[in-house]
Amino acid sequence: MRTLSVLGLVLLLGAVPDGATAAPVPPAQRLAAQDDSVYGCIVCHADKRRSFTLGVHSEQGIKCHDCHGGNTAVYEAPAAHQGRFVGTPSKLGTIQLCSACHADPNQMRQYGLAADQLAEFRTSRHGQLLLEQGDAAAPTCTDCHNAHLILPPEDARSEVHPTNIPATCGNCHEDAQLMARYREPTDQFERYRTGAHGVAVFEQRNFAAPTCIGCHGSHAALPPAVNQIADVCSQCHELLGRAFYRGPHGGPARSGELQGCLGCHSNHGTERTPFDAIAALCQRCHDAESGPGLMGAEIQEQVLRATEELHQAADAIDEMVAMGHEVADERFRYQSAVSEYNQVALVQHSLDLEQLRDLGLRVRSNTGIIRATAEAHAEEQWEHKLLLVPVWFLALSVIALAWFKLREAKP
Amino acid sequence: MIRRMWHATSLWFSQTWDDLKASADAGLLGGARFLGLIYGPIDRRLRIDDALRKALKYRLDPHVGWRQMFGGITYVLFMMLVVTGVLLALYYRPSVQEANPSVQHIVSNVSFGWLIYHVHVWSASLIVLAVLAHMARVLFEAAYKPPRETNWTVGLLLLGVVLAFGASGYLLPWDQWAYWTVTEVLVAISGFPFFGGVIADALMGDVIVSGATLSRFFSLHVIVLPWISLALLSYHFTLVRRRGIAPPVEVNEEKAPWRLSAVGTTQEVLKQAMEEAEQQGTPFFPNHLLRSLSVTVLVLALVVTLAVLFPRPFGNPADPLTVPDRLVSTWVPVDVSLALLRYLGMWGFTAFTLVGFSLFLLPLFDRRPERHIRKRPVVAALGAVFFGGFVMLWALGRGIGSLPPSEGIGQVERQERVVPARSSTPLERVGPTPVEPGSPADSAVGDGVGRP
Repeated sequence: MRTLSVLGLVLLLGAVPDGATAAPVPPAQRLAAQDDSVYGCIVCHADKRRSFTLGVHSEQGIKCHDCHGGNTAVYEAPAAHQGRFVGTPSKLGTIQLCSACHADPNQMRQYGLAADQLAEFRTSRHGQLLLEQGDAAAPTCTDCHNAHLILPPEDARSEVHPTNIPATCGNCHEDAQLMARYREPTDQFERYRTGAHGVAVFEQRNFAAPTCIGCHGSHAALPPAVNQIADVCSQCHELLGRAFYRGPHGGPARSGELQGCLGCHSNHGTERTPFDAIAALCQRCHDAESGPGLMGAEIQEQVLRATEELHQAADAIDEMVAMGHEVADERFRYQSAVSEYNQVALVQHSLDLEQLRDLGLRVRSNTGIIRATAEAHAEEQWEHKLLLVPVWFLALSVIALAWFKLREAKP
Repeated sequence: MIRRMWHATSLWFSQTWDDLKASADAGLLGGARFLGLIYGPIDRRLRIDDALRKALKYRLDPHVGWRQMFGGITYVLFMMLVVTGVLLALYYRPSVQEANPSVQHIVSNVSFGWLIYHVHVWSASLIVLAVLAHMARVLFEAAYKPPRETNWTVGLLLLGVVLAFGASGYLLPWDQWAYWTVTEVLVAISGFPFFGGVIADALMGDVIVSGATLSRFFSLHVIVLPWISLALLSYHFTLVRRRGIAPPVEVNEEKAPWRLSAVGTTQEVLKQAMEEAEQQGTPFFPNHLLRSLSVTVLVLALVVTLAVLFPRPFGNPADPLTVPDRLVSTWVPVDVSLALLRYLGMWGFTAFTLVGFSLFLLPLFDRRPERHIRKRPVVAALGAVFFGGFVMLWALGRGIGSLPPSEGIGQVERQERVVPARSSTPLERVGPTPVEPGSPADSAVGDGVGRP
């Protein structure tokens, strides 16, 4: 085993002695390979053939012996397993085997695939453990990608499809016994699944939302450094990231004094701060009576007030709809108010109080008009009731006159 | 100078009036009476004022009184529906894009549009109650018995027309409640054996309730049903006039009356008939006319009051892709249906409808001369169940107000999108067991995504 790892290392460093293992054959020759019907491996390994033929490698004409070697012309085990035969490769052997093609840009170009997986893997924690420390528990290619059934990431059955990635990572990262060796927590998957990103991926099937690899990288898997956290998040939350760096917390986050976004949010759970807990959040670090503490209180008040205004405006619109009024203008105003309200989130990160007050004012100016319109309609409805006074006056007068006349007419 | 001008003006007016009297034909009066606007025999050879006077002198039997007012109330409400309906039709546009906005426009912008609209909606509810009250009076007083059994049938047809008017008008506001309630009803109709599917398809005109359905309901509501109701109403009123109002239950009619029309009879016969009629009863004018006037005014004031205090609420504009959480009822028969479906289920609903239909056959199996309520226990029980039940269910239904739509009502589109799985695709061989086409697992695989 040890010799093998050393051998593997040597191979990885580029000095691949030809003939030591089965080097894959270029595609042109593969097409001329033997016909399936006289292919020896499938006599025993029918199950492997079945999964392999569904994968992308089979589509490109790759066959068993391209990776495993052996003699495919015979149908009996000892004879078939002769020559440059590799049964189940070791972890290092696997890396060597895969990277023989996948680290070669010339071969990957035709498929539009990157050839940097090996280079990335070397930088990752997984790679460090496996390649430098020889940790047998560290993952190799086939721990995340199926050895035979290799599918493109777009395929929902693939281990690296967005909905499957968290479970693929969880194979090891949810294993408490294994993770205890590295002092790693095991609740990431669970917290991710219930967080905003997990809900987006699993429930809304929004694959633009990140899975594990969105923040940690796939082959170069590593937790971001403290001063990189805000940059990782702003890959998607671009405007929020810019606002954050503009604000007073930006500097400390750059220098690593502050944990970037994690100062207020959690990493895997990505909880939002409830609007009524903003002030309390600020007070975790700042004194309530200090400038930043007071600022937090005002932000909370402004946000809560704008939220309440929007709710009231929505109720007012519902009321007008129930009365049968046209509400196209009010709906438009409501949309304007909502788009201004959404900018409040930016200000919460840049902590620009002036801008926040201005946004609050703009939200209120729109919702105020909506509510005023609804009130005017309600007033109108009340005025309609005044109509009943003349109606009943006339009706009762007519009835009274009719009664007098009737009494007169009676014999 | 002024005196001469006044004299000239009044002379002009009196000449115009004389010309009018001279040129007016008794046919006009006949038409008016035909529609029930005035009572009494009219002589076509008289001038209009004499004819009117003569007509108004017509006497009704002394027992005719307040109990007979419900037919009149129904007619008043019908005329209100006609007038407000014509006014609404000035602004209403029966198309998918414009129906709901045009109703909003009527309610919020057109002057007194809100009043016209809500009076129309409330009259549509009250006319059902008025018809049933009228019907209950006729049933309990045995006024449907020979010789008036034809008019009972015509009256029931008119009840059907009223219900058809309401049902077709229910869709026209084109809001979510109207849209999905009509969808529910049409789906229920299509479930009837044999002819249900044909009827539902004919009414719907499409695979879902759509612009085709709206056009159909609109043309039924404003073209077809008004002509049918005009014909039936004319016949109804004519029969009321010819057969007379039923005597009190204690009295047995010896001979069936058949009053003569002024049109097409000789002067002598008419004169004799009128002399007979003038012997007894209270004159229509002023006694009955004043009563009718009071009732009419009261009904008008009541409808306006209801329209002002309890306007019909509106749902969101109809959207075939979104099923609302609840369907709010805005019409008396829908209230009754809500209560029936909630408390008695589909069977209760069917049974109640059958009781209603059995009233059609009443004159066929109830032909004995007894008219007193105590001697007709079966009919009395039937009437009590139907009318008492209707009022009770209506009250219950108003309490319920709305029901959630039934499961799967909005799934038509989705089901159509499911592509049947091809058994030859390699993907299926990956699964543990091959999927049989058409099995539940099959549709689960293709669930709305459009690929297996």
